[in-house]
Amino acid sequence: MDTSDSECFESADEDIQSDEELPKKVFNKDCQNLLKPNPNYELEASETLCDPRTEESKITRQNDASIKLEIAVKGDNESKNSNKASHSSSETEDICQVTSKINTINVIDDSKPVLSRKENVEGDLCNIKQVEQETVKKSRSCAKTKLGSKISKDTVKFEITPEKKKSKVVEKEKLHKTENNIISSVQIVENEKLKVDNDDQNLWDDEELDWGTETKLESDAKHNISKDNTEEYKFQPSPSSNTPQFNPHIGKKSENQSDNWGAWGSWGVSVLSTATQSVSSITSQLTNVIETGLGAADPEELARIDREEKRELKESLGKECEQDIPSEAPSVGFGLGNLVKLVENTGNKVISGGLDTLETIGKKTMEVLQEGDPGLKKKRAFLKIEQNKPVLSQILREAKERAENERNISEEVYMKKMKNYETLFDDHHGLVHLEALELLSKQCEIKLRNLQNSLNGEQYTEFLETMDQIKELCELPDEEEEDQISILEIREKLKKAVTEMNVQISYDKLMTNWEESEVWLNALNMNICDEKELHQQAIETLAQLTSLAMEQFHKIGELLLIKDRRSTADEADSLVQVTTTLTALIGIAAAKFSEKLNSKICESTNKEISGLITNVFFEAANSSSYIQDALQLLIPVLQVGAV
Amino acid sequence: MSGGPYNYSYIFKYIIIGDMGVGKSCLLHQFTEKKFMADCPHTIGVEFGTRIIDVCGQKIKLQIWDTAGQERFRAVTRSYYRGAAGALMVYDITRRSTYNHLSSWLSDTRNLTNPSTVIFLIGNKCDLEAQRDVTYEEASKFAEENGLMFVEASAKTGDNVEEAFLETAKKIYQSIQDGRLDLNAAESGVQHKPSTPGRNNLSNDNQANKDNCSC
Repeated sequence: MDTSDSECFESADEDIQSDEELPKKVFNKDCQNLLKPNPNYELEASETLCDPRTEESKITRQNDASIKLEIAVKGDNESKNSNKASHSSSETEDICQVTSKINTINVIDDSKPVLSRKENVEGDLCNIKQVEQETVKKSRSCAKTKLGSKISKDTVKFEITPEKKKSKVVEKEKLHKTENNIISSVQIVENEKLKVDNDDQNLWDDEELDWGTETKLESDAKHNISKDNTEEYKFQPSPSSNTPQFNPHIGKKSENQSDNWGAWGSWGVSVLSTATQSVSSITSQLTNVIETGLGAADPEELARIDREEKRELKESLGKECEQDIPSEAPSVGFGLGNLVKLVENTGNKVISGGLDTLETIGKKTMEVLQEGDPGLKKKRAFLKIEQNKPVLSQILREAKERAENERNISEEVYMKKMKNYETLFDDHHGLVHLEALELLSKQCEIKLRNLQNSLNGEQYTEFLETMDQIKELCELPDEEEEDQISILEIREKLKKAVTEMNVQISYDKLMTNWEESEVWLNALNMNICDEKELHQQAIETLAQLTSLAMEQFHKIGELLLIKDRRSTADEADSLVQVTTTLTALIGIAAAKFSEKLNSKICESTNKEISGLITNVFFEAANSSSYIQDALQLLIPVLQVGAV
Repeated sequence: MSGGPYNYSYIFKYIIIGDMGVGKSCLLHQFTEKKFMADCPHTIGVEFGTRIIDVCGQKIKLQIWDTAGQERFRAVTRSYYRGAAGALMVYDITRRSTYNHLSSWLSDTRNLTNPSTVIFLIGNKCDLEAQRDVTYEEASKFAEENGLMFVEASAKTGDNVEEAFLETAKKIYQSIQDGRLDLNAAESGVQHKPSTPGRNNLSNDNQANKDNCSC
């Protein structure tokens, strides 16, 4: 609450002071307003009630919030005003209001006893009408501070003027109604609190909660009440909107007052500005409780300030009472004095009991506020998260997609790894051997070109002839009818070829590899074996055989290059032999696997199998072409040896 | 031996060179198999080893060419320098002759590779401290003078073996990131695996990896 607000109150108070009838009317208005403390609130409540979708908790929170706000803001204003020590006769109204408030809230807490107490008090009070009026006069003449020490007495007396008796009864009834409403609402609030308690405690621990500013509260409340637009009315703190309400020149007083009360109800911009010290001390306590709950200011600081204020007040009051009471007593008389004391005591009880109750209620409300409102915070945070949620969910969705993709990829990769011939060829170092062989071949070509460039005339022609001859030597024979070559024959041929080349290489590894595959194939239980597995094994075998072939071709190239004495023709012949033998081996392997796959077709007539068979032959052709390429790459190596 | 086929972004070609018996094949074996091969046969021409490593979050397949150290293969192995992104030049700290030949190996490397090729000098057999013939200091000085990375390692114990291979890879990767190494050049020794199907977020990965790249 800023100073502008409190200044507002002051000016308003001064305006109100000018009218003597005001306290009465304010009181009446107060009573009415207690029934409907806030027109807006009522509107909201009715609206929310009308709305079948609206949850009960919403209403509760609205009620709760509005009531609490009233208290809080009132306390704030009053304490500030009291600090300013602006004294005026309007203090009576304040007391009236506060008292009625207290009564109301007392009723909320424990209706029957309080009511009975109130009746008692009223009865007593009726008996001492005259005293009251006198006291009214006196109290008005008295310094405001004096009243502070005897809040209850004076307050109660002021209330029960004869004219107001009827209205008081009416008020009582109304209060009773209100009480029921509020009781139920408080209960609901408590239920809500429990709910919210269970809801989510994590966010409640959030230390950054700041309920100090009305705006925040407002926004929080808004959030809480699920974007209820009507809520905005209730929490309009704008001083400018309040200011006209306090203009005494506008309209009738009743209107003016109703405006005041309405404003007070909604934002505490009330006629209570020049609160008595007693009220201020009460309210400061309340304020302390409330504001502590709200976290409006440092609770310790507030408490300290309050304590200091109270001490000061007590001291000053003590002095003034001492001075005033003697002058008061003689004029009223001794018997009256007793009565007054009785009333005073009773009033004290009522007020203090009311205050206790009010404090309890306040504390409880604050608990609810604190616990319920962090719920708002929580909800707000939740809403905030919801704003961020698309991002989060998007992230999650993306993560999921990525995971799915990766799974697909890994499956793909797995399938590729399982099926892709090239990959298998690479894995078995076939590719890198081929690459190395290429490098060797290139190196030899460069060497030959350099040599060729250095030659001229007859030597050059001779050189070219030699080159061509070697190329011819390495030409593969046309498709021979060596289909029925056995593995044993292949082994023999390879061995012979290696010997002719006179290099220390061996195809044992290659042959062993094939034999292992053959054993696997023969041992294969066709009933169990999946055609895909069989196909995979075929590809794997082909890739492995080809890789080994590449390695040997590469080694042959290296060894030929470091060989001391070259016999190019033999080497070429051997290489051709090796090449044809290896391609024959590849053919055998492919045929064998296809045969097995074909038997699967007979079993299940799966059309996919024919595709797999085709693939096996395709990769076999691939293997053969690699082998033949390797031979071509070796030609420069042979040529280098020939010159 | 065989990692996943396409689960790497780059292929770096390494070549291991150095005199016969300095432990080139053993270093490779230690790196790829994490085992020490006690009686390693003479390498014929070149042998290969592969391992997929992680550099700054990038999977890199190292294709390592382990060349024969025998002098008779020198001509053959010279063919293999081409396109090496990294060259591990190995000498034996217990045999000064292997150290003395480094300049020859170095000149071969310089002549046969491209300027961006990372050359890493490895003084192997550092476990044989008692038989040390080449001090760390002089080798270190040699490396510094020639702008080489240097480490003393042991293929037997595995000391610094991993480091040598990984540091080289990091340096190469850095060169790529800096743009010093042109991936499009045929002889860069680096093959960039084009985004394999479904791996379309590779560029993002690169971006992300650049950020938390510690090298």
